[in-house]
Amino acid sequence: MTAALLTLADSRLPAGGHAHSGGVEQAIAMGVLTDAGSLTTFLRRRLATSGAVAAGLAAAACGGGDLAALDAEADARTPSPALRAASRQQGRGLVRVGRRAWPSAAWDELPALPHHAIALGVAAAAGGLGPRDAAQAAAYLSVSGPATAAQRLLAMDPLTVAAITARLAPEVDDVATRAVADGLPAATDPLLDLLAEVHATRKDRIFAS
Amino acid sequence: MRTDVEIVARRGPGGRTVLPVLRATGQLAVRRTGATTVHLVATAFGPLGGDDATIRIVVEEGATLGVLSVAAAIALPARGATTPSVQRIEADVEGSLDLRLEPTVVAAGAHHRAELVAGLGPHGQLTVTDQVLLGRAGEEPGRWTGTTRIERGGRPLLHTTVGLGTGEPAWLPPVAPRAYVSTVHIAETVHIAEEEVGVATGQDAVRLPLPGGWVTTAWGAELHRVVRAAAALAPAAPVRVPA
Amino acid sequence: MPPDHNLDDYVDAPGAHRHGGPLRVGLGGPVGSGKTALAAALCRTLGEEFDLAVVTNDIYTTEDADFLRRNAVLPDDRIEAVQTGCCPHTAIRDDITANLDAVELLEARHPGLELVFVESGGDNLTASFSYGLIDVQIFVLDVAGGDKVPRKGGPGVTAADLLVVNKTDLAPMVGADLDVMRRDSAAVRGGKPTLLISLRDEPTAAAVADWVREQIRVRVPA
Repeated sequence: MTAALLTLADSRLPAGGHAHSGGVEQAIAMGVLTDAGSLTTFLRRRLATSGAVAAGLAAAACGGGDLAALDAEADARTPSPALRAASRQQGRGLVRVGRRAWPSAAWDELPALPHHAIALGVAAAAGGLGPRDAAQAAAYLSVSGPATAAQRLLAMDPLTVAAITARLAPEVDDVATRAVADGLPAATDPLLDLLAEVHATRKDRIFAS
Repeated sequence: MRTDVEIVARRGPGGRTVLPVLRATGQLAVRRTGATTVHLVATAFGPLGGDDATIRIVVEEGATLGVLSVAAAIALPARGATTPSVQRIEADVEGSLDLRLEPTVVAAGAHHRAELVAGLGPHGQLTVTDQVLLGRAGEEPGRWTGTTRIERGGRPLLHTTVGLGTGEPAWLPPVAPRAYVSTVHIAETVHIAEEEVGVATGQDAVRLPLPGGWVTTAWGAELHRVVRAAAALAPAAPVRVPA
Repeated sequence: MPPDHNLDDYVDAPGAHRHGGPLRVGLGGPVGSGKTALAAALCRTLGEEFDLAVVTNDIYTTEDADFLRRNAVLPDDRIEAVQTGCCPHTAIRDDITANLDAVELLEARHPGLELVFVESGGDNLTASFSYGLIDVQIFVLDVAGGDKVPRKGGPGVTAADLLVVNKTDLAPMVGADLDVMRRDSAAVRGGKPTLLISLRDEPTAAAVADWVREQIRVRVPA
């Protein structure tokens, strides 16, 4: 690992992540997420599904995989149009800052609006990181953004939310390790699809997803 | 125990579907039950943990095949075994395949893995339904892991793994359903715009567009209600198929 | 990182990484000060002269956009709404990604675009736009917020390229001293302009529109 990983996983990296709640805004609206306990549950299922898939894709993209083929695999694992749009929007944001932060020819091989995980893998490679690092950043980002979104929306104690995220670290590591070892996971959570699609139709949403 | 089923459907004289290959060994038998349908018939209890079934289906261009089963499958834990039972379906579809097996009930302590890998040719069309119930009446839920991968011409259209039941990482309260239904429909033409079959949502049910088709997923406490919720989201006039 | 990596290649003056394109004008200020009303007025006044569009950063996505549709005679394809994830200041200053996406989308949709207003969500006195997002920024206060506000300063008041004090017609009603506001603004703004206006009395916002015209005129062509 190099310090580039810290930059890549930093919530302050201006790649647009702060406007995405990863389903948290809608989970709160539907009463699925109400407190610290249900936040932990929500983050766990997100990490185990979309987090694992993102970790696998990021690792493969970092490891020199065919980026267009990986982007198609990401689409196949993301049938929800709302989730696809959110992923590609964040991918575009990461490419914008990544190109300037870590110049590399690899950026030009990406499709126009890449899935976030694919862009993350390219960013990791461009920053001198390896597939395991890319997987770790993807897995971590799958919970860190949603955690702070819940903190903002529910006015939760930030220390509690920080503790929840920190205590998920072994699970984040485990997801990253398996993503590298087992190839491309396809774990999905239909609940996240439903939350994303209902959220996308709302006019009173604060988060983009 | 190993089970192997092999079915080949071919367009015969006058457009009839003929079945040049129709064989089964192990815990399943296969019977032709109609002009374009076969039924899978369980010949033993189970599947039990450790049982491994592979069903290979080839539907050649111009042929139509429906694969059904006569009764729900009840996945049971094997004594002392911790390995899951596995049912793997490999489908090569140049014609039209309708795969509608009866529900899988996963008994307490059992873990069943269902896998479908379907490769569609340019004219291939596919409808496949999974119906799952965790636990028999009054019983703790078992565990079900279902993977679906559908490709057309090598391009992946859908690849998902859903895990239900104790031990599955995304099966957590307050959303930990015992019943689950998912239907995928891919029409013959790949040129149908995804907007034509757009997103629809219900309570604990969602329909998502796929290239040339859609996938509906529903979940809840009781299977019959979940079946209805999924059916309610299926487009009234399914993706149009050129004559 | 390659050994010949030269930091200077990636450090640039505000906005220097983009060339040409429309003038981007940030509109910031506290809740209720009249940002959206000013945006609508400027669109009406300048809409015949310039090819223009607006990005809104409302808390609830469509409120400002709907207001603009009704009041600025702007078609839907010239209004983009951005979600800010509870943090309006983040979206205009710390992580401008979503706003850049919206501006670039408008630029791609309208290749002749000359002017884009980026209206922030209502925020506090410390909220200012990043010059990575906009070229010039207007901070909008209103008289009803109290005549002490300019004195309090904060980056919005002190650093904005133009400070607009709106709703001067309310000054007698709320006991605000416009001279105090004018004097305090001048004191904290180091010579940068301040305009006191009333959109109710003068709905074309002519003075602000003149300032915007001047920004377009003096802008160094790409």
